[in-house]
Amino acid sequence: MRPARGCRIDADLAAFIESPVMIILGTGIGSVPEIGRGMGASVEVDGALQIVVSAWQWPGTVAQARANGRIAATFARPADYVTYQVKGPVDRVAPLTPALEACAARYAARITDVLAGLGLPPELTAPWRSGRDLVALHVRPERVFVQTPGPLAGNLLAGSGG
Amino acid sequence: MLSLAGLEPCFEGVVPSILCTLAPDGTPNISYLSHVRRHGDAQVSVSNQFLSKTAANLRENPRAALLVVDPGDGAQYRLDLLHRGSLEAGPAFDRMDADLRATSAQLGMAGVMRLRAIDIFDVLHLHQVEGERTAAAPAPPSGQGLARALAVSEALMRANGLGGMVEAVLDALTDAFGHEATLLLLHEPARGCLVALGSRGYGVSGIGAEVPLGEGLIGLAGQDRRLLRVSDASRLRRYGDAILASSEQEARTRSVALPRLPDALSQLAVPLEAQGRVQGVLFLESTRRMAFDAEDGRALSLVAPQLALAIALAEAEVGEGAATGPQDRASSAAGRPVQVVHHAGDDSVFIGHEYLVKGVAGRLLMWMLDAYQAAGRRDFTNREIRADGGLRLPELKDNLETRLLLLQRRLEEKRAPVRLLRPARGRIRLEVEGRLVVASDQGGR
Repeated sequence: MRPARGCRIDADLAAFIESPVMIILGTGIGSVPEIGRGMGASVEVDGALQIVVSAWQWPGTVAQARANGRIAATFARPADYVTYQVKGPVDRVAPLTPALEACAARYAARITDVLAGLGLPPELTAPWRSGRDLVALHVRPERVFVQTPGPLAGNLLAGSGG
Repeated sequence: MLSLAGLEPCFEGVVPSILCTLAPDGTPNISYLSHVRRHGDAQVSVSNQFLSKTAANLRENPRAALLVVDPGDGAQYRLDLLHRGSLEAGPAFDRMDADLRATSAQLGMAGVMRLRAIDIFDVLHLHQVEGERTAAAPAPPSGQGLARALAVSEALMRANGLGGMVEAVLDALTDAFGHEATLLLLHEPARGCLVALGSRGYGVSGIGAEVPLGEGLIGLAGQDRRLLRVSDASRLRRYGDAILASSEQEARTRSVALPRLPDALSQLAVPLEAQGRVQGVLFLESTRRMAFDAEDGRALSLVAPQLALAIALAEAEVGEGAATGPQDRASSAAGRPVQVVHHAGDDSVFIGHEYLVKGVAGRLLMWMLDAYQAAGRRDFTNREIRADGGLRLPELKDNLETRLLLLQRRLEEKRAPVRLLRPARGRIRLEVEGRLVVASDQGGR
């Protein structure tokens, strides 16, 4: 399977990615992988994916994203585990625009509420969030995988290249 | 200094753990793991259900990054891992397999998830992820396991008789562990099920309710002879809303509804084993998350065999009463009619159109009622019941006392016009309030 040079994230998937979902980031340098959490995401009109990360909380993730540039990001809805994994290169790591600042603040508030609604009180989930030293990873999505537990797990999302 | 042993709560499976591996071209892959366990002091094991991508990546590059969360305070830990290989058998595999089956049973997917292997990783490095300081979440109670086990153990030792022991243990468990509800079930091997003998905290007693072996957390704990613990059931699909216990419901289904704690988040089922046999299952529930920690599990693992042994000991007591003395013949012809219907197919017994009991306890009751009706007998000894071939219940030899207790409790609960009394050790007295009319339906269902 030859990876397509970029794939479109359709409106439904974009709405999902921008909704209060848990965001996990996987990166690597050489043979060493790293994990971090995202603090909100936004799909741009050109199809690029912006993911907000705290460089204070996840220094390894941000350093690897700068150095290597390959990333895997999962977006998982806590209520039902509907999950997508997006893979692609990180074009750049940049300070937050005002729009992304607002996106991160909105995300923090909404994910806190969603988790609280599932019985996880805010003080319990607070360690998973940080507003310090936020940066934006600019990702060019190449492939999107369905990762919801079940028979379709691991399949490429139809029309996502590959 | 952080140690793997200190991260035990992270391995409860409450918050999913996350693994990142790398493909040969450096492309990362993330997978969510339902089950990660500590494997000694320097290794972790992971249930091998991940997608083929993770397995392929690990074959080429054995390094992995793992993120785990302490469900008590939300703290995150990063583990650097090195894949060492897979195990397809052994104690660690068996433990994981049991955990997985319990989870799939709770999800209503019993038999769907099969564990093929567990993967073992060396932990190369371990650190806590920086997090914002917050008002400290209340620390889960710990270090109380031995004290709790001791409290229950003492209550058990002070109690008299089988019935007294059951009540004492149920009370002591509630006091010691501070959870909301407890259920004690007996194993009925002939029908492959567990039957409730007593409970606390459900509003209804549920005595006589049955759980098939292998079904749900209770049935699996009995079948696998393994303690099973759920710390946060909010993630799990609830199957079946509470069925309101009613006499009509019982009569229609010839069964007693299993009592349930609505909104239970924590559950723990521990098998009662003695003399190589499963005697029953003890089941604790709470509406709190993480109500039972690993130490509570160990405490109950200490208590369970004591209770099982005490039950076995009570069963082994022959008692006195080989001879019942002069029979106090009942005048069975007087009073209101007491309608008893026996369905031979499942030995279910109805009194006054209300479902009472079935199985071993049902046949036992019918045996006594027949003797009462035929010869006006009211007094029996456990020795003669054990010896009687007519009961055709070889398992009664080891289970008579518990079945008598079950029958006695169920009769009391239904306020039935038939009662069982225990005037002395080894003696059973039957009281029928009225004129006994027995109908037997040989067809059953």
